Formats: sequence, C-alpha cells, structure tokens
Amino acid sequence: MKRMLAAVAVIALVSQTFAHTPLCDCFDNGDDTISCEGGFSDGASAAGMSIRVYDDREKILIDTVMDAESSISFKRPQIESYTVVFDAGIGHLVTVYSDDIE
Amino acid sequence: MRRSLAAISRIFAVIFALMLFGQGSQAHFQMLYTPDLAPVRGQATHLVMPFSHPVHGGPNMDINKPEAFYMLSQRGRAAQRKKVDLMSYLTPVTWSSSINSSAAFEAKLPRKLTRSLGDYVFVLQPSPYYEAEEDKYIQQYTKTVMNVGAVPGNWADPADLPVEIIPLDKPYANWRGGVFRGVVTAGGKPVPYAALEIEYINYRVDMKLPGFVGAAAVQLPQDSFGTMGIKTNAVGEFVIGLPRAGWWGICALDLVPGSLHKGKPLSVDAVLWLQAREMN
Repeated sequence: MKRMLAAVAVIALVSQTFAHTPLCDCFDNGDDTISCEGGFSDGASAAGMSIRVYDDREKILIDTVMDAESSISFKRPQIESYTVVFDAGIGHLVTVYSDDIE
Repeated sequence: MRRSLAAISRIFAVIFALMLFGQGSQAHFQMLYTPDLAPVRGQATHLVMPFSHPVHGGPNMDINKPEAFYMLSQRGRAAQRKKVDLMSYLTPVTWSSSINSSAAFEAKLPRKLTRSLGDYVFVLQPSPYYEAEEDKYIQQYTKTVMNVGAVPGNWADPADLPVEIIPLDKPYANWRGGVFRGVVTAGGKPVPYAALEIEYINYRVDMKLPGFVGAAAVQLPQDSFGTMGIKTNAVGEFVIGLPRAGWWGICALDLVPGSLHKGKPLSVDAVLWLQAREMN
C-alpha cells in the first residue's frame, strides 16, 4: 500500500513538473542590445534558468541565466545569424532565431 | 399594391428603429476592444472605446474624455505587477455604424509597451454619461484582459476598482462552446444577486474606420436573446455559456445603490470583455 502511495506521489510530482511549457521571446532594443524574456505557461518564474547564445556554427557566445525578473539583456552579437536558447531543463528548450528578433 | 407594401415596410422600419432607440439605458456597453486578446508575440496594440449597444450595432452614445485609462501588466505569477498610465495615448474619434455615429476614443499603444510576455489588464474609467431618458448618469468601470505569448500573470487579480468583475477563467483563452465564470465585487466584496447583462458583439469591427460594419452575424429571435439578463448567485459568482466565437461583454449593473453625480442618480457598473475562439 505504501509503495502504491509512493508511486502515485511520484507520478503527481512528475505531472506537476511537466504540466508547464517554457516560453521565451527576444527583442531588439534598437540600441545595439537584445533583451530576452522567459516564463512558463503556468506562470512559474524563469529566474535562474539557463540561457545561451550560439553563433551559426553552434559555438557558445553567451552562457548565463535569467535574472530575478526572468529576463536578460546582452550586446547584440556582431554576426549575421545567431540563436538564443532558453534551457528550462530536461529537454525543455526554446530557440529564438536572430531573424525573428525585432 | 406595391405602394402599400412599401408603406408597410417603412412603418415596420420606423417601429423597429423606435424599438432599438427606445431601449433606454438598458444594455449600454462601454467597449474596450482590440482584435486579438491572445497574440503569440507582443506587438503594437490598438484599442477602440465606443459606448454602444454592441448586439444591435448601436445606437452609439457620445462620451467625454475618460477619467482614467491605464494598464496593469504582469509576467508570471510571482512577478511584480506594473501600472502604466495610458491617458496620453487617448485620441478622440468618431465611431460609426449603420444606425448613428458618436464621439468615442481610441488608443494606439506602441510595441514597446505591449511587447513583453504576460497579462495586460486594460482599465477604462469613463466619465459619467448622462442618460436623458432616465434622467440619470451611468459610469462603467471597464476591463479588457490581453495576454502575450501564453505566460499568465495577473488576469485573475482584482484591479482594486470600486466595482469590478473578477474573472475565474482567463478572458483571453476561451473556446466556443465553453463557459466563462467570474465574481462581481463592489468595494472589494462579492455582490450577491447582482443584475448582469450579457451581449455579443454582433457586428464586425473595422479598426480603421473605426466602427461597426456589415450585417448582423446573428439574427435575434427577440430582444431577450440580444441582451441576456442573469443574476449572480448568493456569493456573487456567475457562469455564462459561450455559444459563438467572438467577443462577449458582461455588465454588472448599479453596484453602488444610492450613488449620485451632479445631484442625479448614478449607476455604477462594472464591465468585463472576453473573447471566444473557434476550435478549428
């Protein structure tokens, strides 16, 4: 009975963990900086979540975390094409391409 | 015979117009409309604010400059709520429809204000409107809740208005055929058995005009179906069905009985707008 309850508890925790979807968007501030914001579909904070910027050869240009307001700003990479990856863990990745950053 | 038919048609048209204009203050709705309440990405936001009878496409009433217009935004449940005054974005416009034109307002908010993920609760506090037919004033505290990018925030939080409708479901995420729930409050407390009116925006809104255009989307069997009257329950809650995709307005009437403005009765109302989507 205890094992059954433990199994139910684990399933509940896993469900809770995966019930939200990571979300991210980035903006060109018009002053040579880019701002990115993260969040989750259940309203959970993205503070401390990993965010990385890659060049077109998948070299990491910036490796940092979201701040207390679930956002981050950085100097716009001086290359034609780059990608921003919001990594919320366990395969929860959101990719924003530089072409989509306005 | 043709002449008599034409005469009868004219008589019916006049009777119908009298029926519409003769509705008095019932079913007045302060609109606070923007075409998409759930954009995937943040963008500039255009809002129009006529005072109308949306299920009939009018008549539309002239309004003066609102007393307050602002937004409360929040990205995530734990984030700080931000208040941004939007009065400087209000511009007078003429709202048109096939029935009549009226003085209204619009606001074109730049992308920088509404680009972030999260909820945006737009709040409009109009100036009291004088309803000559009933020799009284009407003031409708109106909320419209938009969400950018699916990160929720403060959609369910009170906006701390004297009267308001607090949603129990996201006003921007509703399927046709679903239901919508809310609580009516006055002074922060639920109002039992409050009278509510529900209306569908039955005409296409042209944002450029701006105004109602085209024919009615739904033909009404009779006016009980146009302005649906319901009551809150004993704890101030209500539930409505959403039988058609589009915009639905909920207005809670006269929530502070005994209110006066310029020595005349003032109906202090609360309005909330929501959008239902087709499940394509």
